[in-house]
Amino acid sequence: MKKINYFLAALLGLSFSFASAQTPKGSVLIKNATVLTVTKGTLQNTDVLVQDGIIKKVGSNLSAPSGVQTIDATGKYLMPGIIDAHSHVGLDVVNEATSPITAEVQMKDVVNPTEIGIYRALAGGVTISHAMHGSANVIGGQNATLKHRWGTKNPDDIIMADAPRTIKFALGENPTRVHGRGNGIQPRSRMGVEAVIRNGFNEAIQYKKAWADYNAAASQKGSTATAPEYDERLQTLVDILDGKIIIHCHSYRADEIYMLINVARDFNISKLVFQHTNEGFKVAPEIAQYTMGASVFADWWAYKFEVYYSTAFNAAILNANGAITSINSDSAELIRHLYHEAAKTQRYGGMTDDEALAMITINPARQLGISDKVGSIEEGKQGDLVIFDSHPLSTYTVPQMTFVDGVKYFDIKEDKNDQRLAVSPTEMVEDVYLRIETERCMQDTEHLFEMTSTLFNQN
Amino acid sequence: MKRTLFKASVICMLLGGSILSTKGFAQSDPTGKKRVTDTYAITNATVFTAPGKAGVKSTVLIKDGIIMGVGSNLSIPAEARQIAGDSLFIYPGFIDGASNAGITKPKDPERPENFVSSNPPDEIAGITPWRSAVDQFAMDSKVEDLRKSGFTLIQVVPEGGMIAGKSAVMILGNEASANLIKENTALAASFRGSRGMYPGTAAGVMAKFRDVYKNAELTKTNSDKFASTPGVKRPAINDTYAGMKDVVSKTTPVMFSASSELEIRRVLKLQKELGFNLILTDLENYEGVINEIKASGAGVLIKAEVPDDKAIKAQKEDAAADVKAQYARVKEAYDKSIAQAGKLEAAGIPFAFTTAGVKTGDIGKSLKTMIDNGLSETAALAALTTNPAAMMGLSREAGTIEKGKMANLVLTTDSLFSADSQIKHVIADGYIFDYETKAKKKASEAGNATGAVKIAGNWDYTTESPAGSGSGIVAIQKEGNDFGGTITYDDPSGSGKATAPIKDVKLDGNSLSFAFEVNAQGMSIVVEISGKVEGNSMEGIMAVGQFGSFPFEATLSPSLTAKN
Repeated sequence: MKKINYFLAALLGLSFSFASAQTPKGSVLIKNATVLTVTKGTLQNTDVLVQDGIIKKVGSNLSAPSGVQTIDATGKYLMPGIIDAHSHVGLDVVNEATSPITAEVQMKDVVNPTEIGIYRALAGGVTISHAMHGSANVIGGQNATLKHRWGTKNPDDIIMADAPRTIKFALGENPTRVHGRGNGIQPRSRMGVEAVIRNGFNEAIQYKKAWADYNAAASQKGSTATAPEYDERLQTLVDILDGKIIIHCHSYRADEIYMLINVARDFNISKLVFQHTNEGFKVAPEIAQYTMGASVFADWWAYKFEVYYSTAFNAAILNANGAITSINSDSAELIRHLYHEAAKTQRYGGMTDDEALAMITINPARQLGISDKVGSIEEGKQGDLVIFDSHPLSTYTVPQMTFVDGVKYFDIKEDKNDQRLAVSPTEMVEDVYLRIETERCMQDTEHLFEMTSTLFNQN
Repeated sequence: MKRTLFKASVICMLLGGSILSTKGFAQSDPTGKKRVTDTYAITNATVFTAPGKAGVKSTVLIKDGIIMGVGSNLSIPAEARQIAGDSLFIYPGFIDGASNAGITKPKDPERPENFVSSNPPDEIAGITPWRSAVDQFAMDSKVEDLRKSGFTLIQVVPEGGMIAGKSAVMILGNEASANLIKENTALAASFRGSRGMYPGTAAGVMAKFRDVYKNAELTKTNSDKFASTPGVKRPAINDTYAGMKDVVSKTTPVMFSASSELEIRRVLKLQKELGFNLILTDLENYEGVINEIKASGAGVLIKAEVPDDKAIKAQKEDAAADVKAQYARVKEAYDKSIAQAGKLEAAGIPFAFTTAGVKTGDIGKSLKTMIDNGLSETAALAALTTNPAAMMGLSREAGTIEKGKMANLVLTTDSLFSADSQIKHVIADGYIFDYETKAKKKASEAGNATGAVKIAGNWDYTTESPAGSGSGIVAIQKEGNDFGGTITYDDPSGSGKATAPIKDVKLDGNSLSFAFEVNAQGMSIVVEISGKVEGNSMEGIMAVGQFGSFPFEATLSPSLTAKN
């Protein structure tokens, strides 16, 4: 079968690569690893076979089919690819900060697959990141779930095509500062934030009805109905109400978290994840009962007023209350060692290995709606895997190889000095440096509050 | 309103222009600007009638802005002014696929009192599809520079935001004439957001573009229904819709500015979703998306420019190994970049050029670089003539030298892309524009009257000898009251460059001379260079012992200073 494919490929030449918009799928047999499946316990001296991008077999004494490379991982640890539920790596634009609602804006439009941060994330074992719109608006743009298939210049190759749509919401100081204080429009306060969301959804309900009425009338014979105005912004809110989009909401304070839970319940929305959620520990039972959980920092706070009341036990408390909890980076730097961030939940909260690892694998996968495909080592799931030289929750661990869909994209032994994909012909040697600003949530908004930025931290 | 008036006047000029002007001229011409004749015959020139055609000795007869004939046995009317073309080469007049020459950005409209930045009026947000480049165009020195470079027809693109307005084709003839050839040729679009209001970023622009386009489609559907069916509600026709109507009807293409591969992909994504006819413009970096461009069927306008080579020239010999590896990648990127046009040709994409944002004086040099790196001369000429003519729907009227076409010609002193070729005349709309040609190029920098001749710095030089051309760098620096320095030259013993110190540097007025020694096959030869410095250039001769003297030209590189 395979031979015929290759023959056809050779025969059709170019047209083959054209016709198949498919991303690369690899096959590999990893032998004798300590396999941290996350969902099915830890398996000693176990082999994992990935074929055509899918985990075919987890067991012992597996042999590689012909042509499939074998990697000896004796003494090493194999875990599922790390998933970062909050990142801005690989985006040319982060904030369309010009309106309190920009639901029509899509991060998929501005993905930049050549950003070096993607490779650095791979070097930290991260195979999937949630490239989010910023937090300047109450209802921001739609996010992109990226698979880190480093090496392509085509954005479509790194956008995870089978991931559901998600959208950014933001509560609290950011939207009130940008729009209220910066532009003198709603929202100026937390009450305004709620009003913007409720008004938006109510308008969306009317929009949906206008189109439903038109479509019903237009199909009648001799209809004189004319189409209403098209509005992608309201259509996206309709899609949220119809359960087609998962909300990921930037939030800090317990009162505003609880507010959004109530708004969501009023509008029958259940696909809701809280981001940052520093005061989530105060409303953990409510988050557990009504939402898809919270994605939090391990220990990062006090960068502005609304983030003072925080604790490193946040993740553990949320987890103990049954809320789906993940640890995220929101940073091109932290994304390189999310396994350390997860390990902090053992120091602060005594999480088990599986619980801690779940916070950077299966739990963010559930929050992104992709847990049936990735997030654990199980037969039938996609071959996103990382080999560590020691236990990934150890302080001393170093990632060795990272696979996406069975294709190796990072190997510490083949790590070149210069991994750039895009090189300018007119710049001698570009500055290549880590984006050290802590959080890009507020990128592209600077012009909106140049004055206030001196008074308030921009996170 | 202003625009309507303008349009009316343009139409008046178009309709009545010839009658009025003949009348005017028939009486008298107090300005003294009237031509003696509008009939010209360029006799016995080497004529290249179209890209790919060999040059044939013929005579070109033009009258009243029209080519009346091309051939060797034309009967030349008595009123024709004859131009001896024996030493001249004639090409079809160049056509600029997209230009901002002569364009003045319209004043930003005042913000209304109830202005809300999250929902600004279209006009303020840069969405002005109803605007026309015609209203923003006037002949100015930039336009004249383009004509001097051989361009006779230009498609001018309006200035503005994400949807700036409609482009128009202008002929660069006499400025007293109405030079509009075609209006509404394309809708200019870009990823340019509006600062401080919606849409502010490329992401916002893409979302807004979809909205504008889809609503224009819906309004069209509603309007059609309104026109055909009684009882249908009146559609709301706003300026934006009126400007977009031809675009959603697919009669006017969208000319989208996209310089990089990622931007090109973004435009192609919008085109795929919305289905408009597309011309990609401002392409600079497109090597990786040539297949995608071809599959889209879009028209292609690449920048008539190559990247500057400052980064390559600034590479240091004594760099560390890893830095050298990075240099190699910059060099690789540069080499790829200048070979792109050739790859477009190889892919069978009939592209043209845009001069928007391009230094007009460098266009010739850039084209030569593209030709040296894989672009055929035929394809280069097609990109200047027949391809843009086809893109603008002007193949009948322009692009080649044929009887009945517009009299747009470029007359050069040598075959077009040869090193010493200079443009001597440009004929646009039947008007002749004469340009000074120099025996040697290298114009002196004007106004160096103070007399202080500066020679310290790095001079890039070239020489011509029977053995071929040579090049290198002369680094001159002040040493007390004298000058000293080094010269690099092609090593006679093999490949690579050799370096030698220069001596006897003398500067007398603007006469500069110096010498250096070359060791070749055990023989020491003194090479003496002397010449005149004008501004940043030097012309002179290089005397190589008893082997003879050869032309020497050098340019002071402004970006580099002499090593200390």
